[in-house]
Amino acid sequence: MSEEADFDVIIIGCGMAGMACAAQLLKEGVEGDRILVVDRGEPVGAKNMSGGILWGRELDELDDIFPNWEMDNPGIERYINNKKIGFLSSDDAFIMEGKFASWDGVGETSEPSMRTGWSVLRARTDAWFAEKLEEAGVFIMPGIKIDQLNIEGLDHTSYTARDLTSPAEDSGRGKNQKWRISNFDPEIVDAIRNGKIRGIVQDGEVMTSNVVVIAEGSNSILTRSYAFDSMIHAQDRHGIILGVKEVIHLGEEEINSRFGCYSGDDERPPSGMAMEAALAIFDDMAEKAWEEYPVTAGLVPRAGGWLYTNKDTLSIGVVIQLDSLPSGIHTYDMLAAYKAHPAIAPLIRGGETVEYGAHLVPEYGLDRMPTRLVRDGAVVIGDAAGLVYSNGAVIQGQNYSIHSGKLAAKVIANCIDSGDFSEKALGQYKKDLDASYVMRDLKRFKTTAKFLADDANYTWVPKFMGTMFNRVVREIGEEKITVEKQAMRLRKEMRRKDRKTKKGMGLLNLIRLGLMGRKL
Amino acid sequence: MTEKAKIGLFEYDVKNGLGLIGYNVDEHEHAHIIVDTKKCGDCDSMMCVWGCPAQCYQFRDVGLDEMKFQYEDCVECGTCFLMCTDGALSWNHPRGGFGITYTYG
Repeated sequence: MSEEADFDVIIIGCGMAGMACAAQLLKEGVEGDRILVVDRGEPVGAKNMSGGILWGRELDELDDIFPNWEMDNPGIERYINNKKIGFLSSDDAFIMEGKFASWDGVGETSEPSMRTGWSVLRARTDAWFAEKLEEAGVFIMPGIKIDQLNIEGLDHTSYTARDLTSPAEDSGRGKNQKWRISNFDPEIVDAIRNGKIRGIVQDGEVMTSNVVVIAEGSNSILTRSYAFDSMIHAQDRHGIILGVKEVIHLGEEEINSRFGCYSGDDERPPSGMAMEAALAIFDDMAEKAWEEYPVTAGLVPRAGGWLYTNKDTLSIGVVIQLDSLPSGIHTYDMLAAYKAHPAIAPLIRGGETVEYGAHLVPEYGLDRMPTRLVRDGAVVIGDAAGLVYSNGAVIQGQNYSIHSGKLAAKVIANCIDSGDFSEKALGQYKKDLDASYVMRDLKRFKTTAKFLADDANYTWVPKFMGTMFNRVVREIGEEKITVEKQAMRLRKEMRRKDRKTKKGMGLLNLIRLGLMGRKL
Repeated sequence: MTEKAKIGLFEYDVKNGLGLIGYNVDEHEHAHIIVDTKKCGDCDSMMCVWGCPAQCYQFRDVGLDEMKFQYEDCVECGTCFLMCTDGALSWNHPRGGFGITYTYG
């Protein structure tokens, strides 16, 4: 089998997951010229985007392929030693800030001393990773989109990529949507759903491999088309987040002074800040939208905002849970509102926007994650597998992608040794993933998705936090009362304001939120 | 800052934002997204219009009687595919070498 195939492994997508998989395969002793990595970006990285902070030291294990990655990779911008979590309402901002000497990674701190997060610009990081893989002998093919897989015994010309993605003539609506392929000969449909995958089809030409690694990212067409049970379905936006982002140029010195960052030295990049905030700042926009489009009246946009420091630019953006977007609000207008917030505007003032972009985040949570990550001759890793977790305090995705890539590579290397590429043999990857911190995190915090999808966090909670803090720390000649009394008084006031808040801040709801929030 | 530091209605200059992205637009016959606009007729939520971060969809929001779609400004995020409730979309990524190019990412 091994001799017959053009490659041992074909990896589709050279993002964090794909590049880590290729690097780990090299480490496991697979020859570089037996590995092909295709990416639709030209150069590699051109289609890639993250918020973006890379958390965790997953790259350490790959430093023989990516030597001195922290200093030499031009897309690794600043290490993070300053983390902020905020609650923004229309009037106030309540922002918690930690600045940790242990995160400088220079030793002699009470907590483990290590640099643990970096702001990244993915078009640059990923181009460098691809370059290093190429130097190590891996075949890299940029500018190649794959929309068909090669299935043993099935002539790939018997259907087209469009048949997989176009609605059928007799398609129903909503959940009953059918694709053109479903009306094909049942044997063809079954082969596409369950056949043995043996490589890819590129521009009508078959390239065979023993294993195909699907590392296409969040908007994965192949997992959808080839029945990997991907949860990204048409007409189903539950659990999917859209990130809308700007990169704003401000200059290295200006960022250092504005955000209190250190300059870099020979061993460390400059230090940086990462802020994320829950947003309750769209009241006026929502009210206007509800009035104009009653069809989604009452739908509260659940959104967060972020601001990260890069070397001489800032990454700023909003994430929007797509099932909460009412008709009448453009996603990009929410970015404008966030940028104009009194707590944010001064931080970006005078900057020049140098890039705009948007990307999906597959934050399904455990209940809705794809369950079929392995087929005969193929595995799914990274965002395509829905490996993203956030509880508002930590946001994990790129490190999970790298980890899943490594795990898949180890199993694939064993399969190459044994010559067995069956679903059962490759299935060890799913088992290893389940046993890893990635799935353990996702399991342990499975209530988080529900908590983060609760309107409270985007309505009264940020308002309550801001006003509460305001009242506790201010001196306007009023009589002091205890924090507890202040909280009771504010709750009463807020509940009087409107019916929604009255219900939202009801005792049972508070208990329910508390029970979920304590599991974050 | 306004007299009352309050967030009200905001509009983002999306055309300016899109102007900062590199594009290599493919020919019409190879458009990566195909919209069957006949199906859009009585859609009242028009979620593609609101979700799309690149203003590729315009409809009654701008006073049009018919859905107007253009793929040229698409940033390839996939939002419209999830948003459409009428099964009007065929969504693929652009052919290799075409579409957007991020330089920061």
